[in-house]
This record gives sequence, structure tokens and C-alpha cells, in this order.
Amino acid sequence: MPKIRAAAVSFLNARPLTAGLAGSERIDLTLCEPSAGAAMLERGEVDLALLPVGALAGKDYEVVPGIGIGADGPVQTVLLAGEQSPVVWDEVFLDTASRTSVILSRVVLAEMGRSPKFTPMPAVEGLAAATGTKGALVIGDRAFDVHKPHVLDLAREWNRISGLPMVFAVWAARPGVLAPEDVAELARAAHQGQGMRTELAREFARERGGDPEKYRRYLTQKLRYGLGPYEVSGMEAFLARAAKLGFLPEHTLRFADDQVKARRARRVVSLDTALQKGADGERLDADEAELVDEQAPLLELGLAADARRRALHPEGVVTYIVSRNVNYTNVCTTACHFCAFYRPRGHAQSYVLSRQELAEKIEGTIAVGGIEILLQGGLHPDLGIEWYEDLFRWAKASYPTINLHALSPEEIWHIARTSQLSLEETIDRLVASGLDSIPGGGAEVLDDEVRRRIAPLKCSTDEWLTVMKVAHRKGLRSTATLMFGVGEDARHRTNHLLRLRELQDETRGFTAFACWTFQPENTRLDPGDNSAHAYLRENAIARLVLDNVPNLQCSWVTMGGGVAQAALHMGANDFGQVMIEENVVSAAGTTFKMDSEEVERHIRDAGFRPARRNMRYEIVGA
Amino acid sequence: MLSNLAHRALERAGLGPIRDKVLAKERLAEEDAVRLFEVRDLAAVGALANHVREERHGNLAFYNRNVHLNPTNVCVASCKFCSFARPDDREASEGYTFGLDEAVEKVLSRRPLGVSEVHIVCGLHPTLPWEYYTELLRRIRAAWPEVALKAFTAVEIHFFARKFGKSYEQVLRELRAAGLDTMPGGGAEIFAKRVRRKICDDKATAEEWLEVHRTAHRLGIKTNATMLYGTIETLAERVDHMARLRALQDETGGFQVFIPLAFHPEHNMIGKAFPKPTGYDGLRTYAVSRLFLDNFDHLKAYWVSLGERMAQTALSFGVDDVDGTVLEERIYHMAGSHVPQGQTESSFHRLIRLAGRVPAERDSLYHVLKVHEA
Repeated sequence: MPKIRAAAVSFLNARPLTAGLAGSERIDLTLCEPSAGAAMLERGEVDLALLPVGALAGKDYEVVPGIGIGADGPVQTVLLAGEQSPVVWDEVFLDTASRTSVILSRVVLAEMGRSPKFTPMPAVEGLAAATGTKGALVIGDRAFDVHKPHVLDLAREWNRISGLPMVFAVWAARPGVLAPEDVAELARAAHQGQGMRTELAREFARERGGDPEKYRRYLTQKLRYGLGPYEVSGMEAFLARAAKLGFLPEHTLRFADDQVKARRARRVVSLDTALQKGADGERLDADEAELVDEQAPLLELGLAADARRRALHPEGVVTYIVSRNVNYTNVCTTACHFCAFYRPRGHAQSYVLSRQELAEKIEGTIAVGGIEILLQGGLHPDLGIEWYEDLFRWAKASYPTINLHALSPEEIWHIARTSQLSLEETIDRLVASGLDSIPGGGAEVLDDEVRRRIAPLKCSTDEWLTVMKVAHRKGLRSTATLMFGVGEDARHRTNHLLRLRELQDETRGFTAFACWTFQPENTRLDPGDNSAHAYLRENAIARLVLDNVPNLQCSWVTMGGGVAQAALHMGANDFGQVMIEENVVSAAGTTFKMDSEEVERHIRDAGFRPARRNMRYEIVGA
Repeated sequence: MLSNLAHRALERAGLGPIRDKVLAKERLAEEDAVRLFEVRDLAAVGALANHVREERHGNLAFYNRNVHLNPTNVCVASCKFCSFARPDDREASEGYTFGLDEAVEKVLSRRPLGVSEVHIVCGLHPTLPWEYYTELLRRIRAAWPEVALKAFTAVEIHFFARKFGKSYEQVLRELRAAGLDTMPGGGAEIFAKRVRRKICDDKATAEEWLEVHRTAHRLGIKTNATMLYGTIETLAERVDHMARLRALQDETGGFQVFIPLAFHPEHNMIGKAFPKPTGYDGLRTYAVSRLFLDNFDHLKAYWVSLGERMAQTALSFGVDDVDGTVLEERIYHMAGSHVPQGQTESSFHRLIRLAGRVPAERDSLYHVLKVHEA
């Protein structure tokens, strides 16, 4: 397959986006002068270029989502400099044809009521000539060396004017050339490059002199490489203002993922066919799954998922388990943006449960017919594997009948790291001390694009799946979950389900899947679509896509009994837990409560026969 | 068009003949409705109801901007499902009655919020004079000429007629002269005698309720109709209730909307005996009523009673109206509703849009004021 031809400048600020492309199998990068990239793209000599934002205006280029070079405050490398204040300038010298910086200068100067003449002049001469009523525009690495009495940092000025960040450059492609894999490759390179910033700063200092620490601060503190909604707003505001002042034609941004999605959707046979396939238990491919997520109306999804549920569970039985969620500690070091439960170590509200407290909770559970303890906690930096081994041995010795459903993959990683053990060894030791099965929590959305945004310190998709794979191989069973409604899109949710399905093909270790929506109260993250409607749709989609996971749990705890009953008619066959205790979701504002009588009433009223089960979905006596 | 998946599901559920009637726009028999209730196949019945709903209203979901006024909770009736009523005005019994100034002031304070309708329902107060009610409407009307006044259930109209020695027609004519535009549909509960005797023995009978609405319709007053489900009624009694409404609607065409209301169990006499109906029961009731009430244009899910999640879900099960922004709701909150007081218009829009529908603000007579395309 021919590579995508790309061009980018060699400026320091671009290196975190380009360094990771060295040796890329998909993208062939050429370094060029700032003004050359736009021209090469225009002439078709390259397919993709790191373009100044102003160069997008009037073109049909597709912007690569999520990646950009910008600043939300001073940037240091786009400056107006002169002997006098810019308010007296009548002429500005500039050393390149960077239209974006010229336009930014004009926007900023217009705000001061100035509209000086812009005259091209080589940089060194331009700066020397910037005396009296003359100024100079200096961009790029040369700006590090500017020493003039009056210096205006244009990113800071823009921020002051608009309240928004300034985006200088983005990856832009000729329409129709990028595949989703190319977008992913650029994202991967950007991620890798941002991890190399210290190194890149050092390398740059070796090349041209100067303080590597200053360059490092520039790359890590002045520049932003993300292109989220906030940055896109900044870009749109800049383009709109420049158009209003007559410096640029009006422009509406086009993003590669929109276009890529539209192209992908056309490849799929049809929505009806995809739904019918799902209903009949045929495997949906990625395009079909994503199309169904994007377009299928709720009831069509529900009908298809209900048909599938009837095939998998024709008896009309809906199961539930009586168990208790015990959160052994709320101390956690990951600080996920969507979490309202965690406290830092040493916080007045932080805790680690004592044996006595645990004993009371387990005995209380057994007293009301509970057969399982769901033991999860934060990532406590002081708890090593011995603490867990002791705990499990004690619990199993004291309460041999209780199923110990404990430790999400995140916690298992954490224990392995804290105790400097391999994953295999960690799991072996936990199983030997009494671990019976693993909950599927902490999966959130198994797509690193989303994870990096909402839970940057959490384990990656691969890490989460690796724990599950190793655990399944050792005979442990687990559940799988999805927490969505965090501003992700159909592509991310589809990736999540497909990654689970792939692992399940290999291990058959997942007994059930459950999804729920993000509950935003007391957290720092703004919700995406976390509505009941979205929940019911995703529940049905999961039933269609996860053709190899036997059971689907509905989530009355987050959605309430009525929505959960509707979910039973749209794919779900399990009513989850009668919970004796729950702390995490309720910290985020959800308050639905039901005892087993009420759970059974809901199941019966919806037309099913209730039955209690264990973690392996075997029916147990009431 | 009904999808193949829907056809297959309906046939599997044995609902083929009912589907054929619906698609041919033939009227469903009472036993059809009972069958739709009993089949417990929510996706199939829902898909059929949704088909009818989308044929009538496309993707629109209606709401209005309204404020509730409950001038008194003192009530001589002793409905066992009610958490709102109090026997008298004494502080010890938590009774209240707003003076006219206070009541009018409360309503007018909402005027800056762009409210287009005031919904007024009272307890059956033993001593308030007739002039209290007419004066209340007259004063609001005088101060706020353009607002729509939707006031007094059939049960109150019946009570006024008895108490003040007037005919239904006289009562309604005088209220209309004072400013009344439309009537709410409350107090219908369940029409069946067996049920009424047990849960609301001492208020207007089914025949009286229907006669008040018949009279109102004859006078050109549009009204709503409700059904309180989830107490002791059987499914056949629910269907009988809807059948009587359908018959009156055939006669008059004066009903605008049907509103099933879930019984709320907290703080009333029968809450202990009957748990709150489940959400499933609500969804199937919406779906069946959409299919059975072929002469009602609108079907409303009252979000204050249902909660926002279920109201949103109901938009896929036949419902096209989610009531209004409802400022100052008291009756359901006293029965344990925990939804927030009042919805901002933007959160209403979000709720509707995320259900895949388009918000359409309406007036009291269901004229569309504005379609809020995304």
C-alpha cells in the first residue's frame, strides 16, 4: 500500500508531532520551510501537511481531529517586537510568508486600532530595522533570541482578546485520502512524541545552542498539542474574526473523522441488514457495529436485541445475585476525572477498612442470603500483595462459602507494580490466597483516545485486556463493563465492544457484560450523552455485537427500575445485583435502591421469572 | 413503515391480527387492548405504538411553558391515593389556602419566565365562596391577558355545581366568562365503579366526570383526560376506562390529550398496600393507549410523576408530549416524587433531543409555537 506523503516544518514546536513518525509504515514525512507545506499540499505533491490554521481558509482540506499545536497563554515564538510600543507602529517587517502569523498580528493590532503596512524583509534585517514607528514580526525558533524593549506575545494577546486558546497549526489532508488507520497513526505519533519532549528539547539545544531546560518548558508548558472542543472553539473564533476583518475568506472546518466515518458508512450494506444479522446471531463487523450505533433507532435496536436474547435465553428467566459491594479503601492515586469516590492518601475522609469492619459487612451479607462479596478499592500506594493475601486468606478461612469477587484489572496491575511482581505471579498468589473471580470494573471505554482524556493515569486498553487474558487463562472468570457518556463517539464504543469480543473468542472467560452511563455529580468531567435513551441503545448494541458473551446485565442502580425493565426487553437477561452496599456510583449522585423483593417484583412485572444466581450464572436456591 | 424486525416480533407474539388492524387504521376492540397489555412483549408493542406515533407527529415532541397553582389543599373528599389533601385550614393539619392576592401574586411572579399557561387545581374546599374561584381567574386574566388559563378538574366543577346550586353548564359559563380557557383532565382516576368505591368513594362518579367534560366540549372548552393506574384496577378496568373516553371523544372531539398517571404510594392511605407501579407498567400503558385511543391526537408522559429518564424513554413508546416546564408542582411531590422542581427549557430540549426527537413548544391548544430544530 502506498504511504501517505506528508510535509511538516522542522521547528521545535512541531517535533513532538513529527518525531514519532520516523520509520512510520503508513506515513512518509518530508521536512520543509513553513511556507512550503501549504504549497506542496496545494500542488498535490503531498497528501497531508502540518498547516498553519490560516492556510485552511477557502480550502476543502480535512483537519485531523485531536491533534494541533496551540497555546492557551503566552507561546514565546510568535512575537511582535520593536523599540516603541505597537500603538505607534505604521509598518511591520516580517521574515516569512506565514499568513497565519500575519493575520494574527493584524487581528491583534486591529484590536489596538492599528493597521500598519506589512513589508517582507529577511529576519535579521527586519529586526534591526524595527526602530521608531517600525516593528517586526518574528516567528519560530528565532523568536527565542529576540531582545527588544517592546515585545508582544501574540498567543497571549489572542487569549486576552478572545478568552480562547490560539491554535497555530494542524494536520490537514486533501479530501478523501486519509483512512482511519492514518488518523490513528498520527495520534499514536503525537502521543509518542509528547512523551519524548525532554529528549527533543535536549536534541534541539545540541543543534543550535541555548538552554535545554528553556526549550523543555516551552514544549511542555507553553504549547498544547491536543485539539479538543476548547481548542476547536479557539480555531473557529480566530477564523471567524479574521474573516470578519476581511483578512481571510469565511471558512467552516471539516474534520477527517467526519469524512472518514461518512466514507465508512457507505461501505456497509444497510442498516436493516446489519440489524437483521445481529438479531440472527451472525457476527457484525466493525463497520456494521459502528453504523448500528450511529443510526439505528432505539426500538429497532431493541427488537433485534430482544430476538437475540430470546435465542440465547429462551426460558424467560431473569437472574440476579445477592451480593455486597465492599470498597476496602477510597485512597486512590489515579484521580480519574469522572470519579467522585476517591480521596488522596492522608485526606480527612480517606479510609482503609479494618478486619472488624469487613467481618461485620460479610456477616451482614450472609445474614440476608448474600453469597458474594464484590471487593474493590482505590489504588492505595501502601498496600502490597501481602496485605491482599492476608485479607483473602482470612476471609476464606472465616467465611468459606462466600465467593470472593475481587480486584479490577487496574488494582491487579497496581498490586503487581507496588510489589514488583509479574502479572502472572501476582494473579497466581491472589488465587492461591482465595480470589475466586474478577469484576470487570475500570474498563470505562477501552479506547486509549478516550482513556487518555478521562483517566490519564489509568491502565491502557492493552493493559486492562492483558490482565483479563492472564486471569482467564488461569481459570478465573470475570465480567466486562463499559462506562460511557463521557463525550466519546460511536467509534470508541464500537472499539470497546470489539476488543472485548476478540479476547472472548480467545479465552471464553467473560461470563457477562454490563454497561452504564457516566454519572457526573461531584466529578470534574462534563457528561456527553448519558441519557436513559443512550443507555438503552448501548445495552441493545452490546447484545448484538457481543455474540460470544452469554449474559447481559442491566443497570437499575444507575438508571432506575423502569429503564432496567425496558432493557430486559431489549437484550438484557440479568437484573444485576441486589446490593447491600454501594459507594462509588452513589457518590456521583445516583440514589436508586431496591431489596430482593422489589427486584423480583420488577422482574415479574416485566414478564419474566426471577432466579438467584452465583457469579458463574448458575441458578442457586433462594 | 414498520420494519421487518417489528413484523417478525409481532407475529411471534401472536399480535399479527392486531397489527393488521392498526396498519389498516381499524379500531381496536377492548379485548385487543387487554391482549396488548397481557402479552408482555414490550419491544413489539412499543414498535407498533411508535409507528402510530410517528405517523401522527413525525419526530416532534411537544412541551409547553407552564406554572402550576394549587390555591388550596383543603379537601372534603377522602381519596385514598392522595397525599396532597388536608381536612381543614388549621396549621396542625398542614392545610393551607392562599388568599386571592397571594394566589394571584404567585402566578404573576412567573410572568417574566415566558410562561404561556397557568394550570390551576384545588382541593374541594368546604367554605370558600364561589366568588373566590371566579375572582381568581378574573384577576389573573385582567393582569395577564395573553396567558392561557387551564383550570379546575371535572371533580371540582361537579363540586361547585352541587355546592353553589348551579348546573355544570352554568358553572362552566361563569368560569369561562371569568377567564377560563381549557380544563385539565384530573379526577378521572379509574371509571369502574368497583374501583371508585374503594379508592375515591365520595367524589364525582364516572358518569358525572364524563358529563362535565361533555358539557365543556359542547361549550367549546377543550379538555384533557387522565387515568390513574397502578392501584387495584384490573387490566380490563383500565381498558374500560379508555373505552369510555374514546366513546365520548367520538361524540364531542373535545379531548386534546390522554395522560396516564402512575399511582405514587408515599404519604397516603393505600401506599403500604400497593407499591408504586413499575416503569414497565407505565411504558406498556403508554403504548397500549396510543394504539387503542385512535381518536386522541396526543399522548402525554407527565415527567414530574415519571422522572426524567422514564419520560424520555416514553418518547419511544407512543408518547408525543412531555408536559411543561412545570414550576411549583405540589401534588406529586407530596406523594414522594423526587424530580427537581421545574425544568429549564434547555434541559427539556436536551432530554427530547437525546431521545432522537425534535422539541416543539406548543400553546394550551396544541398549536405549535416554535419547532426547535437542532
